[in-house]
Parts: sequence; C-alpha cells; structure tokens
Amino acid sequence: MLPTGIHSLTYSDEARLLRTTRSRIWLALLVVALLAYPLFAGPYMLGVFTNMFITLMAVYGLYVTVGMAGQINVAQSAFVGVGAFVTAKLSGYGLSFILVVPVAALITGAVSILFALPAARVKGFYLALTTLAAQVVFPIVILALPMDWFGGLVGMSVEPIRIGSLTLGSPVDFYYFTLLLVAFLTVAAFNLKRSRFGRAMLAVRDNDVVAEVMGVPVFRTKALAFFVGSLFAGVAGACTAYFLQFVTVSSFTLFASVWYLGMLIVGGAQSATGAILGVVFITFLQEGLHGVANALMQSGASGGVLFPLTSVALGACVLLALIFEPRGLAHRWSVLRTAFQLWPFPRN
Amino acid sequence: MINFLQTLIEGTLVGLVYGLVAISFVVIYRASRIVNLAQGEILVFGALFLWTFTLGAAHAGYHIPLVLGFAITLVACITFGLVLERFVFRPLISQPAFAIFMASIALLILLRGVAQLVWGAETRSFPAVFPEGGIAIGPFLVNTRLLLGGVFTLILTFGLHLFFTRSRHGLSLAAVAEDHNIALSLGVSVRWAIAVAWILGTIVATCAATVLLSGRILSLEVAQIGFKALPVALLGGLESIRGAPLAGVLIGVGEALAMVYLDPLTNGAASGVLPYAVMIGVLLVRPQGLFGWKKIERL
Repeated sequence: MLPTGIHSLTYSDEARLLRTTRSRIWLALLVVALLAYPLFAGPYMLGVFTNMFITLMAVYGLYVTVGMAGQINVAQSAFVGVGAFVTAKLSGYGLSFILVVPVAALITGAVSILFALPAARVKGFYLALTTLAAQVVFPIVILALPMDWFGGLVGMSVEPIRIGSLTLGSPVDFYYFTLLLVAFLTVAAFNLKRSRFGRAMLAVRDNDVVAEVMGVPVFRTKALAFFVGSLFAGVAGACTAYFLQFVTVSSFTLFASVWYLGMLIVGGAQSATGAILGVVFITFLQEGLHGVANALMQSGASGGVLFPLTSVALGACVLLALIFEPRGLAHRWSVLRTAFQLWPFPRN
Repeated sequence: MINFLQTLIEGTLVGLVYGLVAISFVVIYRASRIVNLAQGEILVFGALFLWTFTLGAAHAGYHIPLVLGFAITLVACITFGLVLERFVFRPLISQPAFAIFMASIALLILLRGVAQLVWGAETRSFPAVFPEGGIAIGPFLVNTRLLLGGVFTLILTFGLHLFFTRSRHGLSLAAVAEDHNIALSLGVSVRWAIAVAWILGTIVATCAATVLLSGRILSLEVAQIGFKALPVALLGGLESIRGAPLAGVLIGVGEALAMVYLDPLTNGAASGVLPYAVMIGVLLVRPQGLFGWKKIERL
C-alpha cells in the first residue's frame, strides 16, 4: 500500500516494480551493501552468504511452482541435483559456464516436465505425490547408471569456472558470481507476477476450474509452472556444483526439498519477498543455532546436537507460521512497512 | 518353478507389511482428510516408545514384562495422538488442503529432530515380539515373523473395515473425510474425528513397526518405509482400508519379482523404482486407486 500523494500518470508508471524514489534509494543501498560485504566479512561468513544465495535461487523456483501456481513440489532438491549433475558432466567436456548454466537450467526444466505430466489427470495433493516419486527415484537412478555417466556412489568432480586466464576459486569470487546470478533471478521472480503467464498461474492457483472456464489453458500453465520453477532449480544446481567443486547424490535429499518448502512457508508463499525473507530468516536462525550447539558441546552435551536442533526449530517455525500467520513473514513485513510509510498517521 | 513360487510367497509377506503401514495412512485419511507425509516418523516414534518401555527400561534397571510394556506404549500412543490433534491439527481445521499438507511436512521435520534430540541417532536392537526363524511348508520356507504379521494385518483390516463401514462412529468419520465444513454443520465433531484418526494412526503404525522390526535393528532411517508405503496406500485407494493390504501384496510381489528378474539387468534399480512407477501409473490411469472414492467436481 502506498501513502497518499503518489500518483501514476501513465500505465507504465503504474506497472513499475519500484514506484517511488524512496524505494529505489533503499534498493541501491542494499545493492551497495551486498557489493561491499566481502570487504568486511571473513571467508566463513562469505560462504554462509553464498549458500544463502544458492538456497534463495531454489526457493524462488518453489515460489513460482508452489506460491504462484499452487502446485506442491516436494522434489526441488532433486531438480537442483539434476542441474548440478548436468553441470558437472558438461564442465567435464570443457564447456564455458556461460553455456553450461543455461543448458543445465533447460535440461532440469525438461526433466521436471516429465513429472508434471500427471497434472493432466490429477491435481492438488495427488500431484505432490508425483514430485515425491521424482525425489525418491532420483538417487536410485543416479546410483544405478553406469559409473562413467554420473559417477555413481562416488560422485563427480567439477571443473572450476574459467574466464579467459582467470580461474574462479576463492570465496570472494564465488560470492560475486552467485550474487550476480541471484540478482538476475530476483528480477525474473519479481517480474513474473506482472506477465500474462504469471496472471494465468495465479488464476490456476486460486481456482483451476474457473481458470479453465475463463480460457486459461490449465494443463499447459501447470506444466510450465513446473518448468519455470525448475529453471531456477537448475541454476541453483549449477551454482552448487561450481561452489562445492564436487557433486554426490547424498547432497540432494528429500529432506533438503522439505527444507526449501519450509523456508518458503515461513517467509510467505504469496510473494517473492516472502522467499527472500524466509531464506534469510532461516539461514540466520541456523547460524544462531550453530552458536547454541557449540556452547552446548562445550558444556558437555554429546555431539551432533546441531542437526536435530535446526530440524526442531524449522519444523516449529513452519507450524507456527501455518497456524498463526499463513501469509508468512512477508505479510508482517508489509504491515511494518506501511506503518513506517504512513507515520505518524495510524494504519486504517 | 520352486524359486518363482518362493519369490511369490516372500513378496506377499513383505507386501502385507507395506499394507499394514499403508493402513496407518488410510486410517488417518479416512477419519480426517489429512494425508500425513510424516507417517514414517510416526512409525519410528511408536517403535521408540515400545523400545523405551521394554528394552530401554531394562537397560535403565527396570524390568517391565512385555505385556505391560505394550500397555504403556498404547497409553503413550494415545497421548501422542491427542497432543498432535490439540496443538497442530485443531488450529488448522477447515483450512485449505495445502496448509494441512504443509503441516504434515513440518511435522516430518519436527518429529525427526525431536526423535534425534530425545533418543539420539544411534541404532538399537528392537525387542523380539514374534518368534524368529522359518517354517518349512513343503519345499518352501516361510518367515515366521512375517507370516504372523501378515495374519495380524488381515485381522486388523477386517476389524477396521467393520468399524469404518458398520459402526455409527466410523460412519461419522467418513463425513469428516469428505469435507470438514460440511461435517461441522451436520454436527459431527471434527476435533474428535481428528483425535481418533491420529490415535488410530499411531497405534497402527506402532503395530507395523513391531511386525517390521521385531528382533531386528531400530534406527531413525526406518522412517523411509513411510515413503514406500505411500504408493501402496494410493494404489489401494486412500479411503479404502481393505484396498491397502491387497495393494501391498501387489506391490510386494512386483518388487520381489523385479528384484529377482530385473535387478541383474538394471544394476539394482528396477525394484526401487517399481513402486513409484506404479504410483505414477495409478495417478495417470485411475487417480482414486483401486477402491477409493471417485471425486466428482462441481462448480
């Protein structure tokens, strides 16, 4: 909600992503802060941020499939895995990352279409089950394929990114690499809602029978929602592969998929802001729990407290979000922002 | 030929175990319209309860007879079901299916964490409830534990089927499975239905854990069986108690045959992929499963 006194004179003005000068200034400040961040942070925190960006890419994808089109997808981690393995394979042939990243995204999208086909017959929770099948079948297939295809149980190493004579290897390099990609995907995720396809997805989410009556091709929209969501996952997978320099099946579990979904729910599935807020919130929560777990270990608790602790925290967060704030942190954020903008007048 | 028949027998018995786990899905769905993805974790919880009140207590110095251990586990299951109903699913009554599905996913994360925090991640041996070993029938060898478990599954199926289709309470649960709001307006207590669903679901899952694990190793990884039983529940039809063991036998036999005849050709993938391939096939051809309710949509 905008404060009074802001008028749009043209449609293009109305349709802009950032409509006020103040919001543009805030965004510029954020970009400068993110660009300057490596000057102040150590390699550990840079790694945390890089991971956060990669997670955000995958969660943007979920936002498209789950948040916009309303199709539950519990296989996002498997799709990230497909992107990562394709990247590993292609980089092994010596291809440049400029080619590898889009091809990985497209192949991931094509694979996801395969599991979106049942959308022609079923919907809702039943469709979620086909994605569950995708997630469970993914490691089985990778492990069963010949070793020299995808490395089987051992995994595959990934050739580092080379630009001319420059090789990306340090945490700072990867920080900027993922920042660039995540910035690109952020614009894409925010823009999607304003397109014809985006509106078609919202219609399908809200009521697919009505959408069909109004002339939206429901099946095609659902399949494309999976495709677009998996493009994001493919890019996230490519980044994971380049970042870790090694891919194994064991990194892409059902549990990771569930985590992505949890982040989206906590942040709020209805907007791309929700994806950002959820990922940032959960990442920092996880880092906080790191500290707690270390303190517990020092006071004599047994090792391996961290993982269950983060599980309990995330599970509790998702349940609390579903029960008390189904619109997620994004709604809280917009309430806060409106109050700030309208100050000193009360909202409503 | 003997090998083939032996494979069939083993597949049938393992399939009945899948069927038992699938029944715990169906029971929860049939009474509350909640598809609970966390069913594997519920099963692990039931198993951990039983371990705590038998071998765990014995380790701590309290020797509880097996029967008493079962009784305490039953009480623990009921308490667990009530806690889930009160704090997770009661606030979500008549929310969209998406929210309830997500709640079950949150529960999956939460319960796994809690199990690890409370009981630790180490593996432990499970009390031997059923006699181990096999019975030779003609040229065939039948696993006693699975045979007794299979008989138990069939009796349980019969009993639950009667409860859901013949008793007044069971029929009112069907109304809740149809639609929360309609059930509420007809005077059916949705709270009560959900409580019953979770208590029954937990108890059936604990039974499944007992059959599955008796005398074997209990680890948190056992929760995987939940995802294996999901295709079974779907094939049988999510509303059909009787469909679950039949679908379990179909999938169990298919898996056993794939393991013997297809796995050598596919590097061991065929038997793992088969249940999910069947699931996608079912969704494409007959989404309501073999005996499920066909949903007709009206505007």
